[in-house]
Amino acid sequence: MRITQRSLAVTSLQNLNRNMEAIAKLQAQQTSGKTINKPSDDPTGTNAAMQTRQEMASATQYARNISDGISILDATDSALHNITEQVQNARALTVQGLNDGSLSEASRVAIATEVDGIRQSLIGLANTAVKGQPIFGGVTSGPTAYDAAGTYTGFGGTTAVPAIEITRQVSSVDAVRVDITGPEAFGETTATSKDLFAIVGDIARDVVDDPDALAGHLAALDVALDRLKKAAADIGTRTNRIETAKQVNSDLQLTLETRSASIENVDLAKTMVDLSMMQTGYEAALGATAKVIQPTLLDFLR
Amino acid sequence: MSTFSGLNRATTALWAQQRGLDVTGQNIANINTVGYSRQRAELQSVNGNAVPAMYAVSNQVGQGVDADTVIRIRDAFLEGRAQSEAASSAQMTVRSESLAQVEQAFREPGTTGISAKITSVYTSWSELASSTQEDGARAAVLQNTATLVAELHTTSATLGEQWTQTRDSLDVLADDVNSKVQSIADLNASIKRANQAGLPVNELSDKRDVLVMDLAQAIGATSTPGDDGQVNLVVSGATLVSGDKATLIRAVGTNDPATVTATDPRFETSPGGTRVAVGGTAGGKITALTDTIPRYSKQLDAVARQVADEINAAHTLGFDKTGAPGGQVFDNGGSGVGTPITAANINLLITDTSKLAAASVAPVVGAGASADNGNATALGKLQDKAGGSASLYRKLIVTLGVEGSVATSNLETQTVIASQVDASRESVSGVNLDEEMTNMLQFQHAYSAAARMITAIDETLDKLINGTGRVGL
Repeated sequence: MRITQRSLAVTSLQNLNRNMEAIAKLQAQQTSGKTINKPSDDPTGTNAAMQTRQEMASATQYARNISDGISILDATDSALHNITEQVQNARALTVQGLNDGSLSEASRVAIATEVDGIRQSLIGLANTAVKGQPIFGGVTSGPTAYDAAGTYTGFGGTTAVPAIEITRQVSSVDAVRVDITGPEAFGETTATSKDLFAIVGDIARDVVDDPDALAGHLAALDVALDRLKKAAADIGTRTNRIETAKQVNSDLQLTLETRSASIENVDLAKTMVDLSMMQTGYEAALGATAKVIQPTLLDFLR
Repeated sequence: MSTFSGLNRATTALWAQQRGLDVTGQNIANINTVGYSRQRAELQSVNGNAVPAMYAVSNQVGQGVDADTVIRIRDAFLEGRAQSEAASSAQMTVRSESLAQVEQAFREPGTTGISAKITSVYTSWSELASSTQEDGARAAVLQNTATLVAELHTTSATLGEQWTQTRDSLDVLADDVNSKVQSIADLNASIKRANQAGLPVNELSDKRDVLVMDLAQAIGATSTPGDDGQVNLVVSGATLVSGDKATLIRAVGTNDPATVTATDPRFETSPGGTRVAVGGTAGGKITALTDTIPRYSKQLDAVARQVADEINAAHTLGFDKTGAPGGQVFDNGGSGVGTPITAANINLLITDTSKLAAASVAPVVGAGASADNGNATALGKLQDKAGGSASLYRKLIVTLGVEGSVATSNLETQTVIASQVDASRESVSGVNLDEEMTNMLQFQHAYSAAARMITAIDETLDKLINGTGRVGL
């Protein structure tokens, strides 16, 4: 092939350009820290990157849901714990009122007052709220689960309106219920049964008015206490479940982080080596070009 | 042998070598001129009289050398190859560039694109599921949704702008092509006249061939040789230049990206109105206008529609903070009944945070509105839905990525091919300084030798005229 000065120059320029382009690409990767700067850099990688980003956002959201759920479950657990303690106190007082036939009227009134106080504090505890939402109120949009008289004002959990579970999505496939409605934990006042607050109210009244009825109330209180324990156990089980989900979630986040990094992030060492190799190549090409383009026969004619 | 034929022969040699030196000088002068084809003085020995006339004598020796014609050295086959390769390269360059622009409009993968905005809409619904009564969480849903709507509008507008700019450039391109077509016709006329008069046309032809190559790039034109050194210019069957007659072209078709179809916009002859199937840069632009940009616009519209449909459908199943059934979240922004929702017209209807339907339970008399999170949870889960907006959008981006990377690698291959063809052309037509120097030395020596020949004949004649018959003087 006949080679001319111009074709040499053009070819050299093209090769230099190609070198520069490769260097520019490597530099873009190095400075952005990403191997994929536009979809056409790596279509498959782009798909994986976008999917991973979305999964990471979901996982982060699940983590927030989980910690929110845990805070509600913890609040419920401690409220149930306190309520159980108070009910134990009320039970002790009831037993006292039941056994001691020689109690003075004043002592009975004192017991009645104390039990009534316990009832007030039970209602207060039953109205415990997390982020403004009463935890025993089901899905009520109101501020309380029970009014001052101890009537359930929540939404769901009664015979008329069954409980509507409040759940937290803890993974893409799993949701954990985080609430327990008042009627589920404290019983429901119907024609045949009474809830915890009504029972305690009855005790406060009958310890003075009708001590003979206390035995029946004590039995009802024990049933209520059993229900409370069952509710606490239920909450405990769910707390365990959500704690497990938390562990799974943090593992998942770590995995996704690693996957995202391996898809999108630049292997710094490799890019550095590639870049310096490219630079060496570029300099060699420059040197060769300078030498090749210069001489012609002119230089050797006298 | 006539007495002075030797002198005459030497004179033709002097002329011829001088001509050779002239041409060498011209070649060296144009070593860097774009489109210049190296020239060569065609030296031909002049025969003696093959058929002697009456009383004439012939000594069977030729009459010297003739250097009348100076030719351009070029390979017509390679020129044709170069034209079609230049057209392909130009078309692929435009294709790759337009796809790159579309990619820029989408800004993926990253934290600023539509993908991230879709994700944040759904995660904010999921967040609302954790605190259905909080206005802050509700406002976050509205804000993120408004941001997604704005992003859809922006991306759609960017694509529209790209379309409009490309469409505008067609008119500029047509003007440029027309002026070059006219120049080629004019040059053809000059070349024809000069050829008929026997004048040199090499430089004019070079100038014209550069214009032909420009048009090959611009509209995929090819040339065929015509009479008297002229060329005819054809674009896929439509003749733009025939001898000294030029046919101009113009860009026609819609100026509105919304009304574009696959047959619109296009180039046609003016006058005449015959459709011209252009290649080259123009062909690439036409593809961008009628296929690439509208196709991605439509896919983006489909994503917007999917977002609107899936959120509307899920939202209307729920109940808002006051217990009223959830309404539509998106509409087509007053584009008229029956007009589908697109990325350009999608409109967020809800401005009041309490109107967001997070609950899935109807209100109950006495208990009021439900504060449950069923619907918010359901909306949050939409992002993982198979065939949902997120996966639809991802499909768009992957398609775009694949198309872009195929276009890029095609262009790289084509560039190599085109540069090889260019190199072959250059190796035939280009000026090599070493060669010119060698030629120069040859001509110089030949000139000296011819001059010496004259001196020798001169001396011989001198001896004959002045020295003969003077024995003893």
